[in-house]
Amino acid sequence: MRVALADDAAVLREGLARVLADAGLDVTAQVGTADELLTAIAASPPDVAVVDIHMPPTWTDEGLVATEEIRRRFPEVGVLLLSQYIEADYALRLLDGSGAKVGYLLKERVLDVADLISALERVANGETVVDPALAAQLIARPREETTLDRLTPREHEVLALLAEGFTDRGIAERLFVTQNTVETHVRHIIGKLGLPAAPTDNRRVHAVLAYLRSA
Amino acid sequence: MLVVLAGGALVAAMIYGAYRNGLWPPLEKAVISWSLAFVGVVIGAVVWQLRPESRTGLYLVAWPLVGLVSDFPVVFSASRLAVTLGYLVSDAGVLFIALLVLTYPSGRVTSQLDRVLIWIAGAFAAVYGLVNVVLFDPRPQYDATILVLQPHAVPLTHIGSYDATGIRNALDAVLGILAVVFLAVVLRKLVRATPGGRRVVLPLAAASGFAAAQYLVQILVFGGPVNSWTNDSWFWIVTLTAFAIPASLAAGLLWGRRARVVVADLVVELERTPPGSVRDALARALGDPTLELALWLPDRRSYVDADGRPFALPTGSQRAITVLGPADAPVAALVHDPVLLERRALLSSVAAAARLALENERLQAELRAQLAELRVSRARIVEAGDEERRRLERNLHDGAQQRLLSLGLALQLARAKLGPDANGAADLLQEADEELRSALDELRELARGIHPAVLTEQGLTAALRTLAERSSVPVALGALPDHRLPPATEAAAYFLVAEALTNVAKYAQATRVRVQVAHEDERVLVDIDDDGVGGADPAKGSGLRGLADRVHALDGELELRSAPGCGTHLRAEIPCA
Repeated sequence: MRVALADDAAVLREGLARVLADAGLDVTAQVGTADELLTAIAASPPDVAVVDIHMPPTWTDEGLVATEEIRRRFPEVGVLLLSQYIEADYALRLLDGSGAKVGYLLKERVLDVADLISALERVANGETVVDPALAAQLIARPREETTLDRLTPREHEVLALLAEGFTDRGIAERLFVTQNTVETHVRHIIGKLGLPAAPTDNRRVHAVLAYLRSA
Repeated sequence: MLVVLAGGALVAAMIYGAYRNGLWPPLEKAVISWSLAFVGVVIGAVVWQLRPESRTGLYLVAWPLVGLVSDFPVVFSASRLAVTLGYLVSDAGVLFIALLVLTYPSGRVTSQLDRVLIWIAGAFAAVYGLVNVVLFDPRPQYDATILVLQPHAVPLTHIGSYDATGIRNALDAVLGILAVVFLAVVLRKLVRATPGGRRVVLPLAAASGFAAAQYLVQILVFGGPVNSWTNDSWFWIVTLTAFAIPASLAAGLLWGRRARVVVADLVVELERTPPGSVRDALARALGDPTLELALWLPDRRSYVDADGRPFALPTGSQRAITVLGPADAPVAALVHDPVLLERRALLSSVAAAARLALENERLQAELRAQLAELRVSRARIVEAGDEERRRLERNLHDGAQQRLLSLGLALQLARAKLGPDANGAADLLQEADEELRSALDELRELARGIHPAVLTEQGLTAALRTLAERSSVPVALGALPDHRLPPATEAAAYFLVAEALTNVAKYAQATRVRVQVAHEDERVLVDIDDDGVGGADPAKGSGLRGLADRVHALDGELELRSAPGCGTHLRAEIPCA
């Protein structure tokens, strides 16, 4: 798999490049700014670009803006956005504006190489990836009476995985059940929570996150 | 008083003379005309008495007296001395009108143009008088429509009857031109006057302007002064016009007299004037709505307004400045309409009456100035603190966190290189890795506590959502602003909600909290209401006190209602344009 890295912290960028290269990935570019990243992608399109959300010049949401640009100009290139802290706003903006083939992970996930590579593969395969910490935080958010109480424990597990962006097949693999069973659970969840019957893509993830955030 | 007595005696003598004459001049007209002239003398005397520093009173007395004397040839035509006097001053009225109007209200000549006009009027009156006295010939000059004089009314200085019609016509024409110039000057005075000055000048200017205008009409229509003794309508016009000038001054005088009462009123009013309103009381007393009050702060050696803001005294002639108190240690300065300079007595009695109130006002202003400075410096300190927190947070993320992550990556590589078993080194690396992760967690929480990046980057609304998501008590978010607020306001609101939510979780035993932020009418309202046990006490060292300080630093108010059993309601109101 071909990966481009954009992060203004050179030490971290190089460390990550080595870890990924050791794991057998092809690192096509290492850059420090959004502009350099777009040039590098145009020159040699990777499967996935790993982009730090904070980059010069303002260190706020340059990575997010760059992601929207990449998704528009190079739809075949997936983007995995790394953030130093978790913000539901960023995740929802990413899922809202960029279509599929995007992921949003806490920056520390680079320390779990296996998880990182699996997230990269999912993004490359057109799935959506949401950091488990964000999904967990939104599900655990204190609520008064809520429709979430009407979900069975199993449906809760499925909901968390839905929020992390897994496909039905991905959920089935994780829970060691058949895809049919997962589909049944998902149908129940969607019914109980009154979510729109979205197809299996980032729109479903967006709906789940938005629901968890507001309910 | 002597003047009034003399005027009265003169009028009585003239009326008696007219009575003796029998048919001429018509007695009722003479009585009306000369009585009004006497009233004019009285008014002039009163003005003289009240405002001795102004020459207006003198001119006001002189003008009707001169008018009376100029009627001598009509009444006392047998006395050559009286006739001479009468002829001599027959047009001196022009000079006095010019003096009155051009120097009112100070009685002093203030501009070069006025001075020139007065000289011209004086010269004209002198020439006219001389022509009458020297070259008088009553016979050929007048017909019934114009001034009729007894043929035997001959002045002492008479040197020979002479047909002076040409000279008189020329002089009348000059007088007509003078009337036009005078009208123009009066209009210019009105247009240029300050609002206060206009109010003072307007009645007199209107009366004298009308006098000049009616004279112009006489010249244009009849070719000379109309004989008002024979012409009924012109008698009334001339007589009333002449009276209008002292009458209009009486109007101005009323306004002036009011001032004495006003000083007394002011003393009473100042007794109950709240601090900060002394200016209004003074403006009312002096009749100058544009009045500004500058209070002297000896410590700073500068003026401030009633709110303690620096006040720069204006320069230039548009405004006048009266400094109250000794020059080396003033109490205050009044910035006012220059017309008030003509009423120094009023100004100083008002200032004396207000002295104590002004001292008070000054102390208040000093206090306010200090408070304002304190507030500004407090706001600066809070802002600097916020900035420092932001910088710290950024440094933790961009510095320490990146380095720890790099270190973590290096550990990963080391573990991969070492393989599963390297004399227990893999276990050590594993431990190191776990330590590193908790260090990262702690660092992240630390940075969030110092100053959440989401607040800087995404604003208050996003930051409050995150806060609500992480709260251990369910938070219902009400309306939140859909736009960014000033950083200091956002920080104050954020930390207020954060602290309040912490307190709710710790003490309130609440089942829910409602948070709402509204930006309306140039203020931001932050409301945090819980349904817990209440009884929160800001004095008990909770973080509330620091938050109150933060809100106060922004000139805001923090209100806490927390009766036992009724939940806790916290409301901050922060000014925000």
